[in-house]
Amino acid sequence: MTDPVGSTAPRPQVEPGRSLAACAVIGAALAAAIDEIVFHQVLGWHHFLDRSTPAVGLLSDGLLHTAELLGLVAGFVRYADLRRRHAVAGAHARAGLFLGAGAFQLFDGVIDHKLLRVHEIRYGVDLLPYDLAWNAAALALLATGATLTARARAERAHT
Amino acid sequence: MTDPHPHHLPLHAGVGPTGWITAVAALVAAVAYVLASTRLRHRGDTWPACRDTSFVGGCGAVAVLGPLPGGSFTAHMAHHLVLAMVAPVLVVCARPLTLVLRALPPGRARRTLLSVAHSKAATVLTFPPLVTLFDIGGLWLLYRTGLFATTHHQPLVHAAVHFHVLAAGLLFTFTVCQLDPVRHRWSLAWRGSALVAAGAAHAVLAKALYATPPPHTTFTPADVQTGAQLMYYGGDAVEVALAVVIAIQWYTATGRARARAQRREPASLINSTTPVP
Repeated sequence: MTDPVGSTAPRPQVEPGRSLAACAVIGAALAAAIDEIVFHQVLGWHHFLDRSTPAVGLLSDGLLHTAELLGLVAGFVRYADLRRRHAVAGAHARAGLFLGAGAFQLFDGVIDHKLLRVHEIRYGVDLLPYDLAWNAAALALLATGATLTARARAERAHT
Repeated sequence: MTDPHPHHLPLHAGVGPTGWITAVAALVAAVAYVLASTRLRHRGDTWPACRDTSFVGGCGAVAVLGPLPGGSFTAHMAHHLVLAMVAPVLVVCARPLTLVLRALPPGRARRTLLSVAHSKAATVLTFPPLVTLFDIGGLWLLYRTGLFATTHHQPLVHAAVHFHVLAAGLLFTFTVCQLDPVRHRWSLAWRGSALVAAGAAHAVLAKALYATPPPHTTFTPADVQTGAQLMYYGGDAVEVALAVVIAIQWYTATGRARARAQRREPASLINSTTPVP
């Protein structure tokens, strides 16, 4: 479906907040997908189930896993809706991707791996360097997202 | 096919008649669907061919799997995945109720069906939390109690489980997708939450099965673990398919609502976000 944006129609309004939110959801879901594909399937570092996982860990893992799957679909359809209205703010959308991916990575590294003990990054090794690298990557993603957001905001304020 | 684990009873030892009845019923439904859609097209109505393909595919899967013997836990899980999740999605996406209502001539049969679809009972029966409980609750009972072991030597119990799995799967998919005309339209929030809850419970159950096989069964650990992973990732695939159905509905409905608003007030509302239906 296309919106008839002719010469008489008002100029479409860009929606930075919604662009950022939709892409943040996609970013988080993509980070989860990469985690599943690379660390579970390709490298085989993460285990399908860590037998020491408490019940609450299993429950939160199931919920988060389903939310990621559905979030990917929801994020994409929201983005498609913004696009057909010509309301995508590109810079905010890119910032959202990084923020979402970083937030997922940090949640996975701190809450899933450490607090709820869903599974470790790798088994039979000294975990410290792995945990540090994992969470440093999360912080780097978040910092990139924050910088991009600030820059996108400044740009919008300018125009 | 030889049973790779001869130390336990073949799973479908007593399924004989049930399996065949299911298969015949599925085939009859497929033939009836194609006859009805042909009738519609002869009349000049449009009815997309992909719906025919979808319905026949779903019924075909049920028909083929019905009488098929299962041996390992993995084979059982593949069977259940198709019966309870894949086939219902294919059947429901073909909008069978809409087709029947359009193909039936005006008269008593059509009036009765319509009054059933518009009844209070239908509204309650498609209440998303109830349907989720019906579907997932049955699954937990089957795998976490002795019920699964009982199905091995009680043909009637096996037949009941078989029927419940298919019926609950159809009802859940019908409710979540809401493509056919029932009077009460449950909102996107209700249906989306049902999908999240069912997906999470399904994932947790798969991991629980990976750790502990169903009570009183003697499947090998490797078999149970493969079956549990099949349940987990197979469930993911079907959940995404259901989410895509809901997402397309939302996208189309928002687009229509916006076009309507624009026609009314062409100058001001081009960017308004319309509420979710």
